[in-house]
Amino acid sequence: MSGEALPQDAPRRGGSLRGAGPMRRGDALADLGFAEVPTTQDGGADTMRPGALRGAARGRNLDGLAHTLFLRLAPVIAAVVLLTQVVIAWVNYGDQIRLSGERAQMVADMTARALARPGWTTSFGPQLQALGLDPSFRFAILRDASGTAIGRLGEEPRGRSLELIQVSSEIEPGPAGQPAGSLTLALSAEGLRANAEKQFVMVLCASAVLVLAFALSLRLAVARHVLAPLTRLLTAMGRVERKDWVTVDLAGSRRPSREIADISAAFNRMVEGLRSGDEARHLLAELERAHAQLAEANGLVMESLGYARRIQQAVLPGPGMLRDGALDVAVLWEPLHVVGGDYFWIEEIDGVSILVVVDCTGHGVPGAFLTLIVATALDRILHDQGLRRPDAILAALDGVVRARLRQDREEMDLSDDGLDCGICIADRAAGTLAFAGAGLALTILSGDGVARIKGRRHGLGYRLTGREEALSAVVLPLGEDRTFFLMTDGISDQMGGASRRLLGHRGIAEILARHRDLPLDGQVRALETALAAHRGAEPRRDDMTLVAFRPKAG
Amino acid sequence: MDRIQIPATSRSPLVDFDLAAGHLLLRGESYPEDAAAFYGPLLLALRACLDEGGGPLTFDVALSYFNSSSAKALMNLFLPLEDAAEEGRPVTIRWHYAEGDDTIAEAGEDFAVDFSHARFEMVQESSV
Repeated sequence: MSGEALPQDAPRRGGSLRGAGPMRRGDALADLGFAEVPTTQDGGADTMRPGALRGAARGRNLDGLAHTLFLRLAPVIAAVVLLTQVVIAWVNYGDQIRLSGERAQMVADMTARALARPGWTTSFGPQLQALGLDPSFRFAILRDASGTAIGRLGEEPRGRSLELIQVSSEIEPGPAGQPAGSLTLALSAEGLRANAEKQFVMVLCASAVLVLAFALSLRLAVARHVLAPLTRLLTAMGRVERKDWVTVDLAGSRRPSREIADISAAFNRMVEGLRSGDEARHLLAELERAHAQLAEANGLVMESLGYARRIQQAVLPGPGMLRDGALDVAVLWEPLHVVGGDYFWIEEIDGVSILVVVDCTGHGVPGAFLTLIVATALDRILHDQGLRRPDAILAALDGVVRARLRQDREEMDLSDDGLDCGICIADRAAGTLAFAGAGLALTILSGDGVARIKGRRHGLGYRLTGREEALSAVVLPLGEDRTFFLMTDGISDQMGGASRRLLGHRGIAEILARHRDLPLDGQVRALETALAAHRGAEPRRDDMTLVAFRPKAG
Repeated sequence: MDRIQIPATSRSPLVDFDLAAGHLLLRGESYPEDAAAFYGPLLLALRACLDEGGGPLTFDVALSYFNSSSAKALMNLFLPLEDAAEEGRPVTIRWHYAEGDDTIAEAGEDFAVDFSHARFEMVQESSV
């Protein structure tokens, strides 16, 4: 019966509804009308204990319930129907018996009246014989007034029989002088009883047919409208347990009962909810995985950059470089991305202090590569070639960078990188400061205010355009009241403020002037703080390097 | 002739090179990680356009910040314009700077020195 809801080729468990619980995976259920809900993957954390639903569904299945209903109801119905019919048959039978009795009485009366004439005691033959014509006739006895049987027809059974309708009629002594007597007539009730029996059997058969039909239609209805949809629901639940997000579509099948349709709808909503929850969990897990991978990759990069920073810092002059020299020096070196393209060189050779600030194109790792070229070049220029004029050093640096980056060739895709550079040579003994710059200016803070000496507009390196200006040096007095600053454009090009504008050299000059009375280190720290304040929420855009110096007092 | 339009990002400017009409525009901030990669295609397109010849050309530069790589890239864009101007094509470069932004104004003045044939105009934009 349950098979009616299933296609013919679908496997059936047991062949009856009983025990047709959740089927195993692999049962061909796809064509049962389950709408496949797209699911991300089968894996992931189990949320439901497998078998939980099966266990819950085992309690008492509906098939058994129908059975119980049937077994309890059917005998009652059958008994009631049977009893009713038996009572009717009994009443009927009684009526028949009564009617037969009345008919027998009438026949006996008629015969007695016909006999009531003189001399009937001897001539009763034809009347008595006529009684025998009745098919149900058993016997008749004619008695005279003294009760002596004078005529008899048929066999009188011994004892009292229930199957006999026995009546008697008095023959009245009449005016015609006829003698008194009586006629006893017995008719058989066997036919009636057979009739009643037949009726009883028919009633029994009808009741049986009725009960059977009732049972069958009940089972069929339960199977079609309750059990088949429930089976599909249970199957779907079994699949959902295994995170196979199927919904149940009962629209195509035989109309389920309204309650089951409601349950199915609720189940489908639940599956959708579970599925989206599951998907969200999967997505979250994926996101977390991706995040962990990113964090790991970032960690590796940062580790690598940290190492690179140690190397770059090792190439930079240490803090004690000029401790015993003629100048007070303070430095701010802050690459944008751990390492950077800003570089500085501070060294005392042959009684002169050499201070160089370099801003290579790019920042981060590419910038850092260029600073290494610059460091090597400066080492050779200052130590091997022994150049001491800042413009000569710039020119030599330009040549080395251009050669090292092979920018003197004609090909198109060659490096077009370069650097801004400012060089100061302070001669304490002579009291002079020689400066030359390429794209990098010298800022001088003195009692008169802040002055700025720009170097050449163009930096060093890059492919030649033919418009480069000549490099030249400026020689200034190294006054004790003066503080000098070499800074990369990362210091002055700070985006921020209310109007989102670059701070600019004027802004730097104002900050420097404001803190002029602080010790050199304090001035640099104050500048750094002021820059951060100007930026506010804006990110930094470039590496920052500043070298401040002034002659040591006394 | 193509029109190159690139929306601005936090690190690169809005680009609108309407080469056919002779209107070029850069607006925003310019500090891409790889300035050569960003400006290379623009330079190629500009060169191709200048090789074809044509009418007057106006280049509006309205940058509020650019790093040194971008400065070099701008220089590379300006050079062929100056060359074209020298050959007789009317070229105007309009350098926009916000009122009071000395850094950008000064940078414009530095660029201006390189031009002797093309017009180089300093355009002050009043801050709102």
